[in-house]
Amino acid sequence: MKYIELGLTEAVDLVRKSQVKAEELVASFISHVEVVDREIGAYLTTVFDRALSQAREVDGKKHKGRLAGAVVAIKDNIVTRGIRTTCGSRILENFIPPYEATVVERLKAEDAIIIGKTNLDEFAMGSSTENSAFFPTRNPWDLDRVPGGSSGGSAAAVAALEAMAALGSDTGGSVRQPAAFCGIVGLKPTYGRVSRYGLIAFASSLDQIGPMARSVKDCALITSVIAGFDPRDSTSAELPVPDYLSELESPGRPAKIAFLGESSLQGLNPEVAENYRQVQQIVSGLCSEITFLDFPSWEMALPCYYIIAPSEASSNLARYDGVRYGFRAPAAELAEMYLKTRTAGFGSEVKRRILLGTFALSSGYYEAYYARAARARQAITAELKAALEKVDFILTPATPEPAFKLGEIQDPIAMYLQDYFTVAASLAGIPGISIPCGLTREGLPLGLQVLARPFSESELFKFAFLLENNLKFKNNMYGIKARGRRKNEN
Amino acid sequence: MLDMKVDLEHLSRLANLELTEQEKELLPGQMEKIIDWVGQLSSLQTPGEEKYSPVDFSLRLEDDLVQVSLPQSEVLSLAPEKAGDFIKVPRVLPEK
Repeated sequence: MKYIELGLTEAVDLVRKSQVKAEELVASFISHVEVVDREIGAYLTTVFDRALSQAREVDGKKHKGRLAGAVVAIKDNIVTRGIRTTCGSRILENFIPPYEATVVERLKAEDAIIIGKTNLDEFAMGSSTENSAFFPTRNPWDLDRVPGGSSGGSAAAVAALEAMAALGSDTGGSVRQPAAFCGIVGLKPTYGRVSRYGLIAFASSLDQIGPMARSVKDCALITSVIAGFDPRDSTSAELPVPDYLSELESPGRPAKIAFLGESSLQGLNPEVAENYRQVQQIVSGLCSEITFLDFPSWEMALPCYYIIAPSEASSNLARYDGVRYGFRAPAAELAEMYLKTRTAGFGSEVKRRILLGTFALSSGYYEAYYARAARARQAITAELKAALEKVDFILTPATPEPAFKLGEIQDPIAMYLQDYFTVAASLAGIPGISIPCGLTREGLPLGLQVLARPFSESELFKFAFLLENNLKFKNNMYGIKARGRRKNEN
Repeated sequence: MLDMKVDLEHLSRLANLELTEQEKELLPGQMEKIIDWVGQLSSLQTPGEEKYSPVDFSLRLEDDLVQVSLPQSEVLSLAPEKAGDFIKVPRVLPEK
């Protein structure tokens, strides 16, 4: 077996037992990335030399960390000290952060090795990674298709074996949707579970960093490392962090679960609906109780999200003015400089959302839009939490359709609808995981989303692990390999 | 209902943005559609005035302590233009 095909947990085990050198692992990833990333475009920046010297350091250590030798990619909206962090935007094209995000600090403290920074929709605004100011990323399963977004680079890198795992960020589905499109596992933790310090802010009441990997196990291990209170993020929760990995194996009681009722599946892509029904068959044997629920307030979740998130973005992105860091457009006067810098520095989707947020917050419209959305958010949250008092998990499709083609969706609202199944959990702050659950007839991966109570990641991982073992979505069908095989069949 | 063209000009002024010619063509229609679409919310009956808070645990206040911050030279090195220990910007008041 090639090193790049090793799961993160296995690889770390081998490195910690000194059976494999971290340096050899890193070297094999480097040569693979050099070949395939020309096609995929997952990375905006690679740091091969740093990764190799970090690996040699790890190899020399007597006591190796919990992630020793794990080759990890980081979404480029998470700041890395001394490594260019662009956020997929011209306005930060040459920004080299003077500080490290807490999650990166924690990964490195456990001897994980950062191999590069991954592509994303500019400021994490999008569902296809086509909004990157630099280039689009392609789906390893079909290069004509998008990897999803906004963490599309992270998802594609993991699927194409260009990293063992990656960090993404999820504001309305940006970890879960690309994970589904690329056939990998992605977790959006409970709001407050993982520190946001060093995550470039998009919508602060929704943003959350999450792991993306090729198995539930690998996601569980990474979450154990990155989660926990951080005095530099006052919204991070002061709750103990369980050892999610070892808890996976411990026996649990059979779960009570809910599926969406038929009326919630109206208009869904037929293959996604068919797959969802097949999953119900498989899962029903694993649970103590199954119910079907409809969430009337979900109809309001997307409009609510597209008021709240742009409103927060319009405020968060006011800081990019060309004064202290980032791109500055030449101008004779200060006001003109602000205007020209922001005009040249932001792409169209970012401008659209800033304007939308400015509208929703402006006097005369605030009550009708922002205040109403804030109340709708409360109603959506109450409905979800009430359901989760009766059942342990809610299972939904992760996306309304499989990966679409590059350039296929031009209408902004049609793109926003990609978040249909994911936004409710974002608005409510509850955790959600996307796991691969099948393939379409064309061979594109589909994802299943599992939602759970706040701060119940332990139970969520355990249940996802059980599903993963029963859904039998084969790891060896991932990405490049699957493509190679299909080519050979033709 | 809303004259989006006029509104967009006002909004872009508030947001410190200028629109490209292409954006001036496309954005009014798109924004109108998006605002219409999010306007669906007005049909939702939401009980009471309760607003959402993203965390339901009590936020911890930090003690007001002096701590080491980033070195000045490193932060200054990020500035697009500087003069000595200062960040330099173009003139603030217009020339008379």
